[in-house]
Amino acid sequence: MRIDILPLLCALRRNPTGAVLVVLQIAITLAVLVNAAWIVNQRIAQIEQPTGLDTPDTFGMIVGAASSEFNVQQAEAEDLAYLRSLPGVAAAAMTGGIPLTSQGAMGATLWPRPGRGGEAEGTNFLNASGNLLQTLDVPLIAGRDFRPDEIRTPVPGKGAQPPAEIILTQALAQALFPGENALGRAVYTADSYPLTVVGITRNFMDAVGVSGGPLYHAALIPFAPGQRSYYALLVRAQPGRRDAVLRAARQHIGASHPDGVIASLETFSSAKRAFDADNRNMAVLLAVVTALLVIVCCLGIFGLATFNVGTRTRQIGIRRAVGARRRDVVTHFLVENAIILAAGTLLGSLLGLAVGDWLSARYGLPRLDLAYLVGGIAGLWVVGQLAAWQPARKAATVPPSVATRTV
Amino acid sequence: MIGYYVRLALKSFRRTPGLTALMACAIACGIAACIVTLTVYHTLSGNPIWWKNGVLYAVTMDSWDPKSPYDPAQPGLAPDQLTYQDATYLFDSDIPRHKALLTLIGGALSGAPGQSIPAIAFTDATTAGFFHMFDVPFEYGGPWSAAADRGPDPVIVLSRNENDELFGGADSVGRSILWNDQRFRIVGVLDHWRPEPKFYSLSGGGTGDFGGTTDAFVPFRWDVTQRHWPAGTFGCWGSSPTNTYRELLGSECVWVTLWVELPTAGQRRRFLDFMNAYWAHQRANGRFQRPRNNHLWKVSQWLKMHHVVSDDSRLLLRLAFAFLAVCLINTVGILLAKFLRGAPVSGIRRALGASRRQLFEQHLVEVALLSLGGSSLGVALGALGLQGVHAMYAGSEAGYGAAAHFDVQGILWALALAALSTLVAGVYPAWRIGRVSPAAYLKSQ
Amino acid sequence: MLKMRDIAKIYRTDLIETHALRHFSLEVGTGQFVAVSGPSGSGKTTFLNIAGLLETFDSGTYELDGRDVSRLGDDARSRIRNEKIGFIFQSFNLIPDLDIYDNVDVPLRYRRMKTPERRKRIESALELVGLASRMKHLPSQLSGGQQQRVAIARAIAGDPPLILADEPTGNLDSLMARQVMDLLEKINDMGTTVVLVTHDPELARRAQRNIHIVDGSVLDSPAYQRRAPHPTPQADAAAE
Repeated sequence: MRIDILPLLCALRRNPTGAVLVVLQIAITLAVLVNAAWIVNQRIAQIEQPTGLDTPDTFGMIVGAASSEFNVQQAEAEDLAYLRSLPGVAAAAMTGGIPLTSQGAMGATLWPRPGRGGEAEGTNFLNASGNLLQTLDVPLIAGRDFRPDEIRTPVPGKGAQPPAEIILTQALAQALFPGENALGRAVYTADSYPLTVVGITRNFMDAVGVSGGPLYHAALIPFAPGQRSYYALLVRAQPGRRDAVLRAARQHIGASHPDGVIASLETFSSAKRAFDADNRNMAVLLAVVTALLVIVCCLGIFGLATFNVGTRTRQIGIRRAVGARRRDVVTHFLVENAIILAAGTLLGSLLGLAVGDWLSARYGLPRLDLAYLVGGIAGLWVVGQLAAWQPARKAATVPPSVATRTV
Repeated sequence: MIGYYVRLALKSFRRTPGLTALMACAIACGIAACIVTLTVYHTLSGNPIWWKNGVLYAVTMDSWDPKSPYDPAQPGLAPDQLTYQDATYLFDSDIPRHKALLTLIGGALSGAPGQSIPAIAFTDATTAGFFHMFDVPFEYGGPWSAAADRGPDPVIVLSRNENDELFGGADSVGRSILWNDQRFRIVGVLDHWRPEPKFYSLSGGGTGDFGGTTDAFVPFRWDVTQRHWPAGTFGCWGSSPTNTYRELLGSECVWVTLWVELPTAGQRRRFLDFMNAYWAHQRANGRFQRPRNNHLWKVSQWLKMHHVVSDDSRLLLRLAFAFLAVCLINTVGILLAKFLRGAPVSGIRRALGASRRQLFEQHLVEVALLSLGGSSLGVALGALGLQGVHAMYAGSEAGYGAAAHFDVQGILWALALAALSTLVAGVYPAWRIGRVSPAAYLKSQ
Repeated sequence: MLKMRDIAKIYRTDLIETHALRHFSLEVGTGQFVAVSGPSGSGKTTFLNIAGLLETFDSGTYELDGRDVSRLGDDARSRIRNEKIGFIFQSFNLIPDLDIYDNVDVPLRYRRMKTPERRKRIESALELVGLASRMKHLPSQLSGGQQQRVAIARAIAGDPPLILADEPTGNLDSLMARQVMDLLEKINDMGTTVVLVTHDPELARRAQRNIHIVDGSVLDSPAYQRRAPHPTPQADAAAE
């Protein structure tokens, strides 16, 4: 079985338009396929990133003033006491915002040395007032939690003493002091105010959707903000008890403050789901559009193959009349299709790599993994040859007698 | 003649129904993908007040920390809000035709008849000029007067939703309501007004660019006298304490947005000069130690600066165009093949006296019909796709669900885009068939 | 009617030059019935294509019905072809998915005729060839002879002064061939000039004049007498 490539190339050169159009389609499709798969993969990886928190069991609630009579300190003390005595609650704490959401988010920039020395790191932070780490279910890797005397509470009308300690996540500690032990070191605010690192925790996600820094940069600072008209309560329920606890808490707290209202109530699971929604939707859209694109491209290959077979019936008949077998006819067309696929995937690889480069430069994505390119080429080859299979089979059915007909 | 060509085109479609369906579907898919992403993109980044784009300007000055920029990722950018002292000083200028101060405060509305628990209300403290500037429609009543601005009087404007909830949609103008246990007189109720994106105040009160539509408006100066801490995004630098409200007003914390209406270039120049003079004066007193960065932002620039269009939707947009390109190339290829297959018949027509132009016209009509069919299918598919997007994004923080809608105008331009692009794709094949030399096909069939 | 002087047509490819016609001169008077014959490769088809304005030529002049058509643009050539020439081909060349009525209609459409006049002409043309009852049939439902008669109807529907026929009976049996030739004579009797290209000497004998082409040029040939109701001037065939 001889495969005559040269006559095929000559035939293509004589009438290249159809083939060129299909080559273009294949090239664009490959470039899109490879990059889309790459992006989808990353989005899935982002969705699968752990929060570092006890997502299924924890929820947060923000209680805010409904009138100027609202006494924040008293209300939050009452609520905490109630929550801690509620059966089914594993831990509860008061803070300023709800992690995994943008509500109440606070951000800051920290430096490893005074006078803004060293590399600045942005982070979100939570203000801690006792029991926060237990409620978040975030373990300490080194050091300790805040002591009660380190937690600064504001005196009405006079503000509060500034805090002197800080707890960092491991990612933040490593970013500020690469390769060193951050425990006991001081980090500095923009005004060179020092905060001593007393503890380092496992990574967890604080606020999302607001720019405060990279994902696992988070900190706990033991103070309560000055003027406040709201506070956040975080509650971690015992496994399986979350919904019951949530219902009870909402009813009690909602009714117990005549001058305050529950401004928002959010479970960590729904917050994570909302946070993931963008990634999930993007992945779905990309996957669907790319699949459609591959289908359209295969239709183009199919169309070209059918056309070629249709216009060359006489030639096929002649070949068969001089001894070609059915198999040879099929091979002839598959080889022609292979040439087009080769040209298309070559062009598409260059295009795909260029697009990948541009994406990583423009959107800060990591560089395209070449395994995806190889996979994309292999995939397109398979479906591309499959698309030409039926026309090639039909070509084989052209009878040799066609050669002798003149009409 | 067109009628004849239409008849021939329909016969041609019937002759190869599979191929015709294939082409129509490919066109439809490409166009549907484009419609979905274009609509989402357009609605997200669209300028909800485009008719005033050259007229309304957001004012920024860089009063930030000389040692580090407000946004390390964009060091050339000033904060998007002003300090209280800067905003109020600039507001007092009479160069702009209209002007508005804006800040987000939190509150709870109560005291409406039949209301048992207070309702949280996202409230914007602003000035009367806001309603004129942004063409805010009223259902009942109107904005408060300039006197109420100066007063300040405890007057309030409710959104339509809020009025529906509290008063059942009735005309509540003149009635009173409690806002944070203060008595307010209702002077106006808005009609449907939900500009997307909420460009005028990008500190969204929790859900960024899309959440938090304003539920109520109160006069800015009144809010100040009541010492309500701002509830939106605000940033501070500097070592001076900000524990009391008075300290906040004198601080370098930015929490007030200023919009001005400057229709002519001359007014803009004068206002900029005014800002620069103020800047120079303040700098001499030790403030504004960063390089001068006084800027007037058009709404479209404002949106772009705040990346209101997420990178994701831009990516999808590019993907959609690549998809459309492939579909159109596909169409060109198949049309070319189909027309060339019909070359013998075209050769006969040429022999019988059809000119090249007449053959081109005949095939262009066929392309036009195909494009009409494929585009209509594509628009229908696109509408379906948008429903899917609506469902997908309904719960997300970005709230695309509320944003993506398909109005008559959208349908029309989508159809136009679809039909035009397919027509353009078909021009080459129609032209090629016209160049067929008749003699070549007449001898052998 | 048809005046060709010193026509030359050269087909050029990358490697070779083929002189299909060289110093080709021919005059056909109005109302004549001329047969053009010659061995294969002699240039008969090229002559027909040029006469029918389907191809251009490299040198010489061509006058058709008193008008110089040597250097015309495509639009003008198409119009002349449409109004002045009727074609009949060996393989009928009917459009397969149009019915008989629509097939005869095609040249009239390009002349932008109004519907009533088109209908009149189509019906009378089909009457002439005896196929008026088959107006709604498709070509595939007709025999070879009938298809060729439809092609003739198509050729004469627009009342062109010149008919060019390329081996019109090549695909027909002898009975049908005779029918077709009878038709062509009838058309010629009505005043239309007929130029017939054939390699069948029997057919050639039925024509008034016989022109022989060899190697792209004309060879003079004795004319055979035929029943000729209209006096026709003796045309001069230019000697080589």
